[in-house]
Amino acid sequence: MASLVGVYAASHGPMIAREWESLSAPTRASVEEGFGEIGKRLSASRPDVLVIVSPDHWVNFFLNNYPAFCVGIGAEHDGPPEPFLKKRFQHPLLAGHPSLGLHILNTAIARDFDPSMSHRLTLDHGFCLPLWRMGIEQIPPIVPIVVNEVDDPMPTMRRCLAFGALLKDAIASYPENLRVAVLATGGLSHFIGEPGMGQIDEKFDRTCISLFERGDPTALATTLEHEVRHTGNGGNEVRNWVVAHATAGNKGFELIGYAPLQEIYVGCAFAEWRVAA
Amino acid sequence: MKDYWLNKLFFDIQQPALAAEYKVDRDAVLARYPMNAALREALLADDIGTIAPHVNAYLLRFYYAIRGMKDDEFIRRLNAIPQAQSDRKGVSRHG
Repeated sequence: MASLVGVYAASHGPMIAREWESLSAPTRASVEEGFGEIGKRLSASRPDVLVIVSPDHWVNFFLNNYPAFCVGIGAEHDGPPEPFLKKRFQHPLLAGHPSLGLHILNTAIARDFDPSMSHRLTLDHGFCLPLWRMGIEQIPPIVPIVVNEVDDPMPTMRRCLAFGALLKDAIASYPENLRVAVLATGGLSHFIGEPGMGQIDEKFDRTCISLFERGDPTALATTLEHEVRHTGNGGNEVRNWVVAHATAGNKGFELIGYAPLQEIYVGCAFAEWRVAA
Repeated sequence: MKDYWLNKLFFDIQQPALAAEYKVDRDAVLARYPMNAALREALLADDIGTIAPHVNAYLLRFYYAIRGMKDDEFIRRLNAIPQAQSDRKGVSRHG
């Protein structure tokens, strides 16, 4: 049977790649430290497959068809399309893991939870920027999971918990001996293309961190459902963290680092969940 | 309310070929995107305050980044949008 060997979270932000050389030394140090630690822990968990939960920033989907959830079940996926990232993260193709992807999809459908599927996704900075900064030598096959966090209506926090729970069960019931790690990317607060852009809502960020540390999924879902409506649009990406929270068994996480990094417009945080036995 | 074609233009212009065409012949490109006439005028005038309520905020950001508007200027224009004109929740964020 497959085993869940680690569940992690890392913020992402295009400015990290776009402006890397011109970022101040403290900002770079903060980014390097957080991603470096996540990369170290992820590598130490020796995953055979990495499930990455991220938004799609208008690359694969548009208003004519925007799924709430999509599971990537292809043998390979395309690397980042953003010019600022593809020159730094030179992986035009990334291996997928069709068998685990399909098992996750089938587990979802058996539970009357009907995500979209894709046999080939283009993995934008949400997926690839953390991989770039973590500096993993050998990137394992990836099962990408997209959550709609860019355009209303978005899945509820309660639904994200449910998706995380089924992801946990799908990994546990996968019939082959496979080490699976999960990485949730994005968040915490940021404002993109809306008034307030460049500011960071530290109060929201601290609320999120406290809720994830405590573990209680009901309080997490109820509070965040309200709070994300009163912060910047980028805060919606915390849904990925909610999915990861339930995948890890709602035991709470260890915060690795947090800094409100105005230069990259992001309340930047890194964490590892305690994984339920 | 969203304008589908305005959003579609901002989505499509992420493709370098369309961005290049838009740079040299904006009218030819706009002719293929039958957006609301008032929004088309606002777009031509880079009137972000008028455009913003009708387009996804990320796509708005992408469009002006591709057009080469510096972040400082883009942010200045966003923050000049009167609250009543914006449906962005960012204006009611935490303190």
